Amino acid sequence: MSRSGPVSRRSVKTEYIETETGNRISRKARIEGKPHIQLGGKSMIMAGVILRGDLHRKPDPSGDDERKDKTVITAISIGRGCVISTGCVLRPPSRISKDQITFFPIRISDNVFIGPDTHISAGTIGANCHIGAGCVLSPFSYIRENCKILPGTVVPHSMTVPPGCVVGGRPARILGDVGDGWGHGGGGEGEEWIEGGDLKRLVKAIK
Amino acid sequence: MDLALPSAHYACPCSSSPSAITSARRASHISAPLKDDDPEQSTFDPHSPRSAYNLLPLTHLLFCDECSQIRCPKCTIEEVITWYCPSCLFEVPSGSVRGDGNRCARSCLDCPVCEAPLNPTSIGERDTAEEYVLRCGYCHWTSADAGIKLAKSTKLTEQLAKFRRTRVEGASGLQHDDEANVPRVAITEASKPQPRDHDDAFGKLTTFYKEQLSESSDAPNPYGGSNYNSPTNLARIMGIYGGLSRSALKKSREKPQPMREAHGVNEGVATFQPEEDGDERDIVGKMRELGWDDLTSEQQQVVAPVNGDARFTSELWPVSTRLRTKRGKRCKVCNQIVFRPEAKPGSTRTKVRMLAHDHIPKLALQPLNVAARAQDPSFIVRKDQLYVEPNLRPHAAQQYVLTVTNPLFETVKVTLTTPAITPGKVKSRVTILCPEFSIGPAGEMWDDALSSSTASTSRPEDGSRKAAMASLTGGEDSERQPEAGKVWEKSRNRTKVILEIVPGALKEISIVPKAEEAQASEVLGEDEDVLQVPIFVRAEWMAEVSHPPGGKPEPKELREIGYWCVLGVGRIMG
Ligand SMILES: [Zn+2]
Ligand SMILES: [Zn+2]
Ligand SMILES: [Zn+2]
Ligand SMILES: [Zn+2]
Repeated sequence: MSRSGPVSRRSVKTEYIETETGNRISRKARIEGKPHIQLGGKSMIMAGVILRGDLHRKPDPSGDDERKDKTVITAISIGRGCVISTGCVLRPPSRISKDQITFFPIRISDNVFIGPDTHISAGTIGANCHIGAGCVLSPFSYIRENCKILPGTVVPHSMTVPPGCVVGGRPARILGDVGDGWGHGGGGEGEEWIEGGDLKRLVKAIK
Repeated sequence: MDLALPSAHYACPCSSSPSAITSARRASHISAPLKDDDPEQSTFDPHSPRSAYNLLPLTHLLFCDECSQIRCPKCTIEEVITWYCPSCLFEVPSGSVRGDGNRCARSCLDCPVCEAPLNPTSIGERDTAEEYVLRCGYCHWTSADAGIKLAKSTKLTEQLAKFRRTRVEGASGLQHDDEANVPRVAITEASKPQPRDHDDAFGKLTTFYKEQLSESSDAPNPYGGSNYNSPTNLARIMGIYGGLSRSALKKSREKPQPMREAHGVNEGVATFQPEEDGDERDIVGKMRELGWDDLTSEQQQVVAPVNGDARFTSELWPVSTRLRTKRGKRCKVCNQIVFRPEAKPGSTRTKVRMLAHDHIPKLALQPLNVAARAQDPSFIVRKDQLYVEPNLRPHAAQQYVLTVTNPLFETVKVTLTTPAITPGKVKSRVTILCPEFSIGPAGEMWDDALSSSTASTSRPEDGSRKAAMASLTGGEDSERQPEAGKVWEKSRNRTKVILEIVPGALKEISIVPKAEEAQASEVLGEDEDVLQVPIFVRAEWMAEVSHPPGGKPEPKELREIGYWCVLGVGRIMG
């Protein structure tokens, strides 16, 4: 992982590896293509999570060799204070054109919660989104900020979810708006964490 | 009301006193239900059928500072700030919203079968000309199923409209000239099925009535310029009041042609035409032949007018994406803006956001015993650790910590009151050990950060709330017992008090057999076995009175607010 830095604590007993920027990564997570994955810090990758960083855009073979070495192509980027629960799969979406397969990156912003067993091929997930368990975010779906995706939702291919929407169903439909106070308050010392709020404390608290 | 226990829901005062809305200025004066002589009537019953509509989580409540009162969706007025397409996030000018039928006029189309977005996909062979179909990424419906192929992948809506027009005209083109001047004949002589196109019919109706209006207003009108532009209306009114001489009245009755109603296909009226051997029978025959999957569902028909008459999935037409709105909210009592988002569809910022969260003390209930704490169902992170609803044993006393948080910058004096026996069919006993206490003021953001950083260094292992409580209850304080009249714990803007709850039994045991009626009344409805504690919260504080700059500061003023909060504790086991 490019931004994660060296592993600061290595103890056989703990399940989680904690990086210098405060990311906590389960030893039971399967992470492919580490150089192509970025973690913003204070984020959580839990057991059984599969990150397919190996599915990245291939550098243009016609380009000159120097540039190819310097720029690291990101396949998956995850912001600060995110929680990726157990059994989630993050697989960058791809397109086939001219008999060539091209992968596109997954970008996840800050304070995004993703419940267990959710499959993500979305292009972008905006900040402060709360995604329930067992969802499928199909390739090139685009989830804007402050959205709530109910458990078991299937967001279809290339669907855009505008900011502040509650989404559910198979295929997903916009069911309504999140409350006007979405993500406001909570997450502080001694407080409950709330959906759409700051998750850094939750990241710390997970055992 | 969703029941993710433990829960806290707040009742907007507009639910208890609908008159608060009408008597505008009195709203700032809190009606104190607890001072009433009859506590039965004033206590908020969370199990009453109305309560489901009145209780909301704090994130859904706003606050009007003019009225000093909580505002819910029922006591705010919404106004549309922006119409926009949820798919392309294009802001649609308010003038063209209606003309576009509240739908995106650009290239956003939804699948008529499942409502997922459609995408143009090239189907052209390498050597032939490009051709596109619209394809659903969810159910794999393609527009080729309806015989629609497009020449390019842009301006989809425009291409589709053209396509549809040629199709409709191709089917009914022959009839157009025949019927031009014989509107009534069409009804009796119609032998060919009429393709019904609503847009077309609507267009014809509009032009017909516009013509009628202009014709009748062109006619000489003795009262031109008045508001009564319709001559028939005018004549009727003049007849009633007799303001005209007989001859003038007669004249006004004769001259202008009264408006007539549209009839006939050419004027846009489609009537039901029973046919000897027409379409209906064909359709029934086809229905018999085809399977269930080839018939449209009601949902597919009602989702857009364009598919209102589609009986078979092969007739379904792509649906333009419905627009959404961004709305501002005003207080219904004083018209003050309490919520106003930025107009841009993609923006999440707000210009005004008066949240109840920032104005009223917040309540949260948790069992004192850490082991008994339920997981927050929203934050389950392991699939093997499912949410277990907290279960309560009847007659087993439990202690709970009630955390009250003060969002205000003043010290607040809080008084909590609750009925000793919870309302509803299941009678549980509730005691607040310390019903009167004060909470310190909320600080600035960096204060928060400071206090939390020191707190986390003192507990290096894990700064979680659970650990804090564990050290509290399991550490040196293990012998500490909750005491009546004493606050349990106090931090800067947060005070914790103890609640003692004895859950009631779902069925009262009685030796005497009861009458059938009494038994029937004991049958519990949905969620009536959930223990919910209504608490009336009254907060008082001295507020700074705003004064003009340079003017001398005025003495502080006493403010107060009162509201019902309902705490869901758990489900009582039978
Ligand atoms: Zn209200
Ligand atoms: Zn659009
Ligand atoms: Zn579909
Ligand atoms: Zn007001």
